[in-house]
Amino acid sequence: MPDTHFYRYDSYDRTLVAERVEQFRDQVRRRLTGELTEEQFKPLRLTNGLYLQLHAYMLRIAIPYGTLSSRQLRKLADIARKYDRGYGHFTTRQNLQLNWIKLEDAPDALAELAEVDMHAMQTSGNVIRNVTADHFAGAAVDEIEDPRIWCEIVRQWSTLHPEFSFLPRKFKIAVTGSPNDRAAVRVHDIGLRLWRNPAGEVGFEVIVGGGLGRTPMIGKTVREFLPRNELLAYLEAVLRVYNRYGRRDNLYKARIKILVHEIGVERMREEVEAEYEAAKGGPLGLPDETIEAIARQFAPPGLPERPAIVPAVEALRLEDRDFALWLKANVSPHRKPGYAIVTASLKPAGAPPGDASAAQMEGVADVADAYGQGEIRVSHEQNLVFPHVAIADLPAVWRALTVLGFAEANVGKITDIIACPGLDYCALANARSIPVAQRISTHFAELARQHDIGDLKIKISGCINACGHHHVGHIGILGVDKNGVELYQISLGGDVDFGKTALGAILGPAVDADKVVEAVDALVATYLDTREPGERFVDTCRRIGAKPFKDRVYGTVH
Amino acid sequence: MAKNLNGDLSIASANRLVDGVVVFLDDAGQWTERFERAALARGERQGEILLERARAEAFGVIDPYLVAVSEDDDGTFEPLSLRERIRASGLTFNAIAADAVRYA
Amino acid sequence: MALFTEAATPSVLIALPYADWRLRPQWPAVALANTDPVEKLAPHLGELRLITLHFPKFSDGRAYSQARLLRGRLGYEGELRAVGNVLQDQLPFMLRCGFDAFESEQKGFGEALAKARTLFSVVYQPTEDGRATASLLRRTQDGAAL
Repeated sequence: MPDTHFYRYDSYDRTLVAERVEQFRDQVRRRLTGELTEEQFKPLRLTNGLYLQLHAYMLRIAIPYGTLSSRQLRKLADIARKYDRGYGHFTTRQNLQLNWIKLEDAPDALAELAEVDMHAMQTSGNVIRNVTADHFAGAAVDEIEDPRIWCEIVRQWSTLHPEFSFLPRKFKIAVTGSPNDRAAVRVHDIGLRLWRNPAGEVGFEVIVGGGLGRTPMIGKTVREFLPRNELLAYLEAVLRVYNRYGRRDNLYKARIKILVHEIGVERMREEVEAEYEAAKGGPLGLPDETIEAIARQFAPPGLPERPAIVPAVEALRLEDRDFALWLKANVSPHRKPGYAIVTASLKPAGAPPGDASAAQMEGVADVADAYGQGEIRVSHEQNLVFPHVAIADLPAVWRALTVLGFAEANVGKITDIIACPGLDYCALANARSIPVAQRISTHFAELARQHDIGDLKIKISGCINACGHHHVGHIGILGVDKNGVELYQISLGGDVDFGKTALGAILGPAVDADKVVEAVDALVATYLDTREPGERFVDTCRRIGAKPFKDRVYGTVH
Repeated sequence: MAKNLNGDLSIASANRLVDGVVVFLDDAGQWTERFERAALARGERQGEILLERARAEAFGVIDPYLVAVSEDDDGTFEPLSLRERIRASGLTFNAIAADAVRYA
Repeated sequence: MALFTEAATPSVLIALPYADWRLRPQWPAVALANTDPVEKLAPHLGELRLITLHFPKFSDGRAYSQARLLRGRLGYEGELRAVGNVLQDQLPFMLRCGFDAFESEQKGFGEALAKARTLFSVVYQPTEDGRATASLLRRTQDGAAL
């Protein structure tokens, strides 16, 4: 197996995954014979990643901390071809969804995933889910410590945790290693922010009770600074308090954010700290040795020295406008001179956002092998990232991605839309989201215009569960159902970048499906008319408030 | 022109256990993928009977339920709700793989 | 309703519901609801020989925390019995949390119990069952290079 620069499974990890697959194989057999009822079986299949949607079972494959080797990505392509319809969808939680899996095939698909040290454990169900991190981890300039080390530590502790496998509801944890939070830690059940205290020690700010969905809330700091060796003992305390006292009477009030809201953060802190005090010094303490052994596996690749200024790249930038725009939008600075971080945009104009065919996945794996140290990341924005690309290789990468259809220079721009699967796939949805994304994307496809509009994040959810994170979109769009008709509610000014977390404010009455593009046009026009130099869309919203936008939208739209 | 929009026409539907595929109960009490072969119940009482029948045949499917439909003059019918129309006919856009549409 | 234990025969004591037991705390068997405060049992744990913990639905996991607190922090060593909606697929979790007796009407439960400890040879988290975690085994391996 080629060298990877992230956690490599050892025989313990492999054995656990293999045993889980065999357990599930037997559970599927017992379901198919009728020995297990659907009610008894449902949590067993959910905690193996199998979720029933409108048309078929969906398999949600875990991509821990959004990090993949090229070999793993090729296997995903294989599985998409063999067991599904040849494509997959990258999600806002850095997982991959295959939408047409058969229950009878699932154990075999999981066994094949296990061959490359992948699994679908706990990607659904009332358990601790995939722990997400910053997709630039290990490469970003402003990083204090690689958050993925901690995602791996938490992943192991939370996998098949015997006490926390029947929580009141799902539980989502995110870790950021940088002050510029790219992991949206304040809208997770637990958010962990690594920071260095004045004494120079690295530890965590522990934030509890954030979340989007029906009742969006921003998490509250329960602990300002937690020494890093204490992380698991503290997490176990939080989870135990939640498991004991989280509401179980009402599905919509069962997340930890409701508990924090109802008892208040002071009381929550008291309960957690009391539980933690009692557990401190026990077997959950993390010796430095254990942390270092895992941290070593995330040591960045020894990148050969490459020039920071490359005449060929500069020349191409000057002569090819598309390349220039791509450099501007899709390429970010790397902590090592001579290198860059490249985002492959999975948002070609008019296409379903975040989808990739098996062939495209294999193409991305090839690019990673040739130019990217064999490593790929999945962002929260449904794009793929090559974290380590030499600047000198950028033209070749750009050309290869162009062939694949993943070189649209729109990262962070208006057509880099985040959308949940919506009513086309999902049984929970009230309205479709993908066709709306497609129409907006087609309408604003012209690149020069997109770059003039600048950074603008549109996020679309097909229902109040907010899997599209619409609450934190600069423009948020929420599909609703009114008497069988799809309508879309627009919100303005949400944000989850650069350490800010703000929830968007609803603009006005929901609009018809065929008026959404017009409404977005009106919002963009308002911004272009009123912006000050250097102001992004969301900055103008903050400065002038919603009224000018609202007037413009509801002037054109009824 | 669709008639019977007040919801007293129904069919029974479920997802097949082994592969999750959407199926409908036909007149013979079998589960079929062909929407147009679904047994039609007229009125509430027939609907209850249809649902009971579907539940009796529930081995091999998950959670059968009734879907309200409207009927055209030519006897064809379609679900009243958008969700059920999508369930019956597949994705409303072209997924990347050409064969993602329900009826290839 | 059949009773299962791995080794010795299950207790035949009648467990009093918590509210009644509090009036007669010398009685060595108590039945807790999953909202009852296990900490209140602390002064009597030496005398208690049977505690039953309740799963109103198998998906209600509060009793797992109660079990771990009883076995771990409070040091209870008597029979800890799972009652209510008790199903074989939860056995690996229940055993790790310290349950050693089960009341279940599920077909095949006994056979499943016999195999439950062998389903997973690797565990990641320390519980009161004393099993060595992967993390511990890695640290104590000779010349282990991770």
